Amino acid sequence: MLEIRNLHAVVEGEELKILKGVNLTVNKGEIHAIMGPNGSGKSTLSKVVSGHPEYEVTEGTILFDGKDITEMDADERAHLGLFLAFQYPVEVPGITNKTLLREAYNTIARANEREELDPLEFEDYLVSKLDIIDMKDEFLNRSINTGFSGGEKKKNEIFQMAVLNPRLSFLDETDSGLDIDALKVVSGGVNKISSPENAIVMITHYQRLLNYIKPDFVHVMMNGKIVKSGDISLAEELEANGYDHMQKELA
Amino acid sequence: MSNVSKKEFIHTYVQLPSVFPENFKELRLQAKISLDNTAFPTKKDEEWRFTDLKSITANKFESVKSGMLQASLELDEYHLPEARHSRLVFIDGNFSPAHSVVEGMPDGVIVGNLNKFSKHEKLRSHLGTITNYEEDVFVPLNDVNFQDGTFIYVPKETFIEQPIHILNVFTDLENPYYVTPRVLFVGEMYSKATIIEEHIGLSNNIYLNIPVNEFRLYRGAHVHHARIQRDSKNASHISRPVAMLDAHAEYHSYTICLGAKLFRNEPRVIQNAEEVDFTVDGLVLIDGEQIADTHSIMDHRFSHGNSHQLHKVVVNDQAHSIFNGKIFVAKDAQKIDSFQENRNLLISDTGKVNTKPQLEIFADDVRCSHGATIGQLQDEEVFYLQSRGLTEQKSRELLVYAFALESVESMAVKSVEELLLKEVIAYTNRD
Ligand SMILES: Nc1ncnc2c1ncn2[C@@H]1O[C@H](COP(=O)(O)OP(=O)(O)OP(=O)(O)O)[C@@H](O)[C@H]1O
Ligand SMILES: [Mg+2]
Repeated sequence: MLEIRNLHAVVEGEELKILKGVNLTVNKGEIHAIMGPNGSGKSTLSKVVSGHPEYEVTEGTILFDGKDITEMDADERAHLGLFLAFQYPVEVPGITNKTLLREAYNTIARANEREELDPLEFEDYLVSKLDIIDMKDEFLNRSINTGFSGGEKKKNEIFQMAVLNPRLSFLDETDSGLDIDALKVVSGGVNKISSPENAIVMITHYQRLLNYIKPDFVHVMMNGKIVKSGDISLAEELEANGYDHMQKELA
Repeated sequence: MSNVSKKEFIHTYVQLPSVFPENFKELRLQAKISLDNTAFPTKKDEEWRFTDLKSITANKFESVKSGMLQASLELDEYHLPEARHSRLVFIDGNFSPAHSVVEGMPDGVIVGNLNKFSKHEKLRSHLGTITNYEEDVFVPLNDVNFQDGTFIYVPKETFIEQPIHILNVFTDLENPYYVTPRVLFVGEMYSKATIIEEHIGLSNNIYLNIPVNEFRLYRGAHVHHARIQRDSKNASHISRPVAMLDAHAEYHSYTICLGAKLFRNEPRVIQNAEEVDFTVDGLVLIDGEQIADTHSIMDHRFSHGNSHQLHKVVVNDQAHSIFNGKIFVAKDAQKIDSFQENRNLLISDTGKVNTKPQLEIFADDVRCSHGATIGQLQDEEVFYLQSRGLTEQKSRELLVYAFALESVESMAVKSVEELLLKEVIAYTNRD
């Protein structure tokens, strides 16, 4: 489904490389976890994959279903089924969650020649998704993330994921800022959304998330590259010994 | 008057009527004296420093004769359903009975044209009494020239349920011309009304629109006043709306600026007794080479006044927004609570914004806050929406819409709200 080959990226107009040759393949039905120290490039990878104009790909390609999407605009990638749950969800005063989601849902439907939903149908559809992560319906009519607590923002990202039903989702530190009850609810939601037809890439610092959402693969990112891949035992190893240890071992 | 050696007078730019219109002779004679003695403003005048007046001074505007009425003009698309029984239409300044309708008003209410009620005692005792702008040529020009206008009188404790729509339409006359619409509103004790004043250019021609509004609100009178400026993109519009409020009166005005090459709006609200409440909000959406200038005064002359001004501006292309908001609080006018905010959204690199709040406070127990911001659309917000599947264009449109929305939501009349939403979408979608 997703194939990232030798991806290099810089901040638009600057020299400093942030991604320095990332390789990653994600197939339908798989759940991946990416771990790595602060500043190693995890968020940048997720933004480059979703088409953030702030970054420039200087080398390498991103293939989605075999199609080269490296230069595609963010909205077209979303139409193909890519989704990013932000590490820092953006507050957008004046536009409600509902407005955004209806516009997004119908735009994606149009792009894929599927039936759009009228306001009433969409309302029903939206309400039917609230249960997935135990979201109160009052959030639908609030401005996007505006005044939401840290945990509510993260929940809202997963709610959007539930509504838009993407094929490949990057969840960037969705667990951080969630208390233990919220973590259970949110990861339960992700598990409900997860299916053999879609795929998920989780970015996290903590093994605790992986207790709730079981990854098939764990990758370690350091200094702009994926330096090691394995299964869940890799996360356990990291939890026990830390990144320094792994760095030395690799060197 | 400024100390420039070479003065121009308004006669240079507009052709004054050779014979004054029949009615209101005294007002016109007085005004003519002002016109003969007051210089036309230039950038050397403090109040006109930033305002390029060349879209006026590059022309000579003819006066429109009365009776040149196009009775067959099709204007249905501009009608508001809420005001289907309460509409006054003026075409190039002339009252059009054929397009107007006033039905089912409560007893004693007058909604009509000035000429018809020219002998009315309330009209005679109010017309021209609160419009004394300093060193001014535009109110006197309106005084000498207005062919007709609107007279609204609401008796004591009377509510007019339906909004009254004053529709000023500008047609494509051959030569540049000027029009001086006039509104006199008198609200007696504890009366209530909603006024929608609209200016629409039917084409892209050059004209000069100089409306003067006088709103006199007696004790406890309530008025909502929406002003929608959709003039021709080549028109100039100089507006002088004044409201004077007695105790417990409330006046809430919202001005929406969409059209005109040059728009200069000088709203003034005068607190004439204790305990009043008023709003002077504005929404400006400009692009191309439009200039939109608001010079407002919130004039607190007595104690216990609340005033509120949110002036929102979106500037695209080379457009230029100017804001000067004055809050006056007289000596001994205590317990004033006044709030002013000018928020500007610049969506091009070449747009220009000048903003200046100006507080002149001579009382000590007052709360006045003011602020001005100039911002751009945040890239992170655009990307966030785009990452959800919205096109970049749609994302920007929604963000501008969200910025403007706050002003639109306070419109109180559904169809006006809808109209403005359409305008906002057209503005953000244009190309
Ligand atoms: N827009 C930018 N401008 C300048 N530097 C940037 C920009 N975006 C990312 N960087 C830099 O690139 C590096 C990687 O950042 P990134 O946010 O991808 O790290 P991360 O692995 O997600 O870290 P964390 O675990 O703290 O979230 C950091 O050194 C960061 O400062
Ligand atoms: Mg990060």
